[in-house]
Amino acid sequence: MPSVNITYPSSADYAALLPAAIVALVPLLVLFVDLFMRRNGMVRRAVAVGIAIVGLVAAGAVLASQYPTSFPAFGGAFVEGGFSIVFSEIVVVATVATLLLSLGVGRDDQVAGTTALLLWSASGAMLMAGAANLMMVFLGLELLSLALYCLCAMSARSSARESALKYLILSSMASGFLLYGAALMFGATGSVQFSALVAATPTPLLAIGAGLFLVGLAFKLSLVPFHIWTPDVYEGAPLPVTAFMSVVTKAGTLAVVARFAYASLPSDRAGAILAPLWVLAALSMLVGNLGALAQTDMKRLLAYSGIAQVGYIIVALAGQTALGLRYAILYLAGYTFMNLGAFAVVALMAKEGDAVVGLGRFAGLASRRPWLAAAMTLFLIGLAGLPPTIGFTGKILILAASVGAGYAWLAGLLIVGTAISAYVYFKIVRAMFARVDPVHVHDERAPTALPWIVVGVCAAMTFALGIFPLTPSNVLPLVK
Amino acid sequence: MIAGALILGPIVIGLLLYAVPRSSANVARVVAAVVAAATFVLALVDPTSDASAHWLARPFDAAFHVGFNGISLWIVLLLSLATFGAALALPNAPRSRDLAAQLLLLQGAMNGVFLAKDLLLFALFWDLMLIPVFLVLVSGTAHGRVGWKYLLYNLVGGLALLLATAAFGILAGTTDLVGNPTAHVAIGTTWGMWIFAGFAFAFLVKTPVFPFHTWMPDTYAELPAPVVAVVSSVQSKAGLYGFLVIGLPLLGPEMSAARPVVFVLGLIALIYGALAALGERDGKRVVAYSSLSHLGLILLAVFSGSTLAYEGAVVYIVGHGLFSAALFLALGGVELREETRDLARLGGLGRRNPKLAGALMLGALAALGLPGLAGFAGEILILTGLFKAGFFWPAIVALLAIVLASAYMLRLFQGIMNGPEVADLPQRRDMTWSEGFAIAPLVAAFVWLGVDPGPVVAQTATVTQSAVPTTTSQSVRGPRKPNTVSEISSAVR
Repeated sequence: MPSVNITYPSSADYAALLPAAIVALVPLLVLFVDLFMRRNGMVRRAVAVGIAIVGLVAAGAVLASQYPTSFPAFGGAFVEGGFSIVFSEIVVVATVATLLLSLGVGRDDQVAGTTALLLWSASGAMLMAGAANLMMVFLGLELLSLALYCLCAMSARSSARESALKYLILSSMASGFLLYGAALMFGATGSVQFSALVAATPTPLLAIGAGLFLVGLAFKLSLVPFHIWTPDVYEGAPLPVTAFMSVVTKAGTLAVVARFAYASLPSDRAGAILAPLWVLAALSMLVGNLGALAQTDMKRLLAYSGIAQVGYIIVALAGQTALGLRYAILYLAGYTFMNLGAFAVVALMAKEGDAVVGLGRFAGLASRRPWLAAAMTLFLIGLAGLPPTIGFTGKILILAASVGAGYAWLAGLLIVGTAISAYVYFKIVRAMFARVDPVHVHDERAPTALPWIVVGVCAAMTFALGIFPLTPSNVLPLVK
Repeated sequence: MIAGALILGPIVIGLLLYAVPRSSANVARVVAAVVAAATFVLALVDPTSDASAHWLARPFDAAFHVGFNGISLWIVLLLSLATFGAALALPNAPRSRDLAAQLLLLQGAMNGVFLAKDLLLFALFWDLMLIPVFLVLVSGTAHGRVGWKYLLYNLVGGLALLLATAAFGILAGTTDLVGNPTAHVAIGTTWGMWIFAGFAFAFLVKTPVFPFHTWMPDTYAELPAPVVAVVSSVQSKAGLYGFLVIGLPLLGPEMSAARPVVFVLGLIALIYGALAALGERDGKRVVAYSSLSHLGLILLAVFSGSTLAYEGAVVYIVGHGLFSAALFLALGGVELREETRDLARLGGLGRRNPKLAGALMLGALAALGLPGLAGFAGEILILTGLFKAGFFWPAIVALLAIVLASAYMLRLFQGIMNGPEVADLPQRRDMTWSEGFAIAPLVAAFVWLGVDPGPVVAQTATVTQSAVPTTTSQSVRGPRKPNTVSEISSAVR
């Protein structure tokens, strides 16, 4: 029995956790203040969302001030550093955008609850971004997911409850896989620390554990063939929640996947253990885009498109090169802006309680609401990988990284997937610009104009990142 | 500076044109024409303009590097003339506001393709120039089937180009190589062929050449005449330009290796295009298929390995751009008056529209290779070059196709202008001043080019010369030469 050294957490440990803690504690304030809001109406909503946004901005500022110093807090369970900070910032930005979209959605007395749940979910994703041991990954993932189950059900529609139940059951099963894999890895190595897994002697038990762990993550990322739940859940959930899921869940889980791939596997076995992941990425790019072809509802279409986009990001990680990780993060940031922008456009076109946003709504949009159509065109062009957007620049960088890492076959499949996706995205562009009889289209106005902020910022970033593809430079040392 | 302005100016002004109300389409037309004229003057002011700004340092060097080379200057001038003519020829209809804006966006993006001195930038503009044409195609109809065909064909080509560019960048360490004769690049033979295949696929689809041509007749028939004048005159040259300015200097050995395949494709395009043009009833499609035939000839020249033929290719690229723009604008005039393009229905239009008949006749004569006009100058240089390089039979076959050109061009002209007037077709007045101003510069240019092609070809040889050292030893091929996957991956790490 080795001697046990107990070290108590210091203030530096808590400081590393501060941004996530802010995001986790602000909801209490939101709920408390909401108790005193007697009258329903816009004020009550604005107060809840306003407090939450202030909290998120504060957390974002703390994160930025800590960049890029690395500190392994709580005995290395949570590593606060450039890597986790970049992912956390993406989560913070996406959550602010979601709150702006959600202001006009739901009942007045529900807004505070929705806001609180969104923040709790985001704090789970932030914990995942810094998680450097298996327990921490599970903790973050469950915090993220539990809040989302409730959020999915936050609608009067029965399809929302169906969606939430489906998500709860399937996601719990995936958590089971993940936990079982973690337990096997612990059994094989005697440690839950990622850093200890690297040094461990490779055994079949470790490989099986890693495989099950990856299955759990693949489910959360909705990689093919673990993607079946995604379109149904995205369709049923309220629009802001769908937007949130499409970015935050993926960002948090990608952080875990990247750290696991780069810093948790014995280097001589990493190739073999991760090979299935690249196959899943390849399948996701093809099946995701093929699945999107047939969709007529915008949320389902974006669900399938998100499956493929995550495939592109994972391609960047293939070969575990330093540049690949930087481009994965760059593309994730780009995807965040393009996807949230597209969702914001949809939010501006949907009215309260819309079950589905059919593609028919987009017919002739360019002549009715030219600004909205122009922004949507930019986002769709970006998702399709055409210039002048981050979709283009990010994609060519990923191609270069994967060819350089010796994964030219993945680069080739990425091209095939992109070619299929062109039909998906340009179908909407075509509808917007096609000549239509305006009488048939009933235009809805969103309850608030706040999504316009999201549209504007996302459009600017989609363009700017495409011209100046900034990548975080000192991320790789901080993964470990 | 000026090179950058030639790209960004039309794009920015094109976007601003969307702010003009649709009812005042005339304003948009005039603005577009003025911008096009201004780009013509700007390009002539400083034909050596060259500007560069840092873009990427990893995974390979890339720069926002734009500037003229000995070939691109003439294509940029051609594009200005074509855009000028197209803008003037737009009808005064609400849709013309959008078309004028899209013409300028197209001009800016295509200027980018021809001025890019960095492969990555070239690929960026290559993809960008699809979007305005797609928007024109889908905004014209409710179904947009032709738009799909155009987009998917060309986008797949663009993606192949993108992958090849990424691989090229990783292998060579930089993409800032276009039109830089001192560049030394190190592409191993195995990768070289794959990369060339990617580039070549993109270029062949865009040109287009058999068997990737099926998007082209539909697209040309569907696009409004002013837009198709620009697309056929300049966008179809982007692939040939790519072979001349990127393929020959950077991937010379691969171009020679691919010669037999491309020669066969080019000859099929030559003959098939000519025969199809003979059989078509739609006036625009006749010219579309004739383009397929003419561009096949240029493709032969580009792959012939003969400098004389390269010079002929440049003359013919510019010349074909000029006369095909003139032909499409004249056909647009015909369609505007008669509301049909069916050669079987049309007839006798020349009686009441002598000016329009004259414009169409001049375009047709240039296209069939009348000596003294640009078509002849290009053809004679190309055929002589092919003969001298020892390609006897391909030159004979090409000659045959040129004979056919007289047949289908005269058939086109006679079908529209000669014969008795058709009673049930509308009778409208002859060419307006603005239509005349649209075509006149094109005609003047192809007459000038036919008489004196010297200035246009003066720089061709310096652009097309190989940047790859002739010695086969790898050791002289530049500073970075990772040729195996493991070497490359260590460079990336």
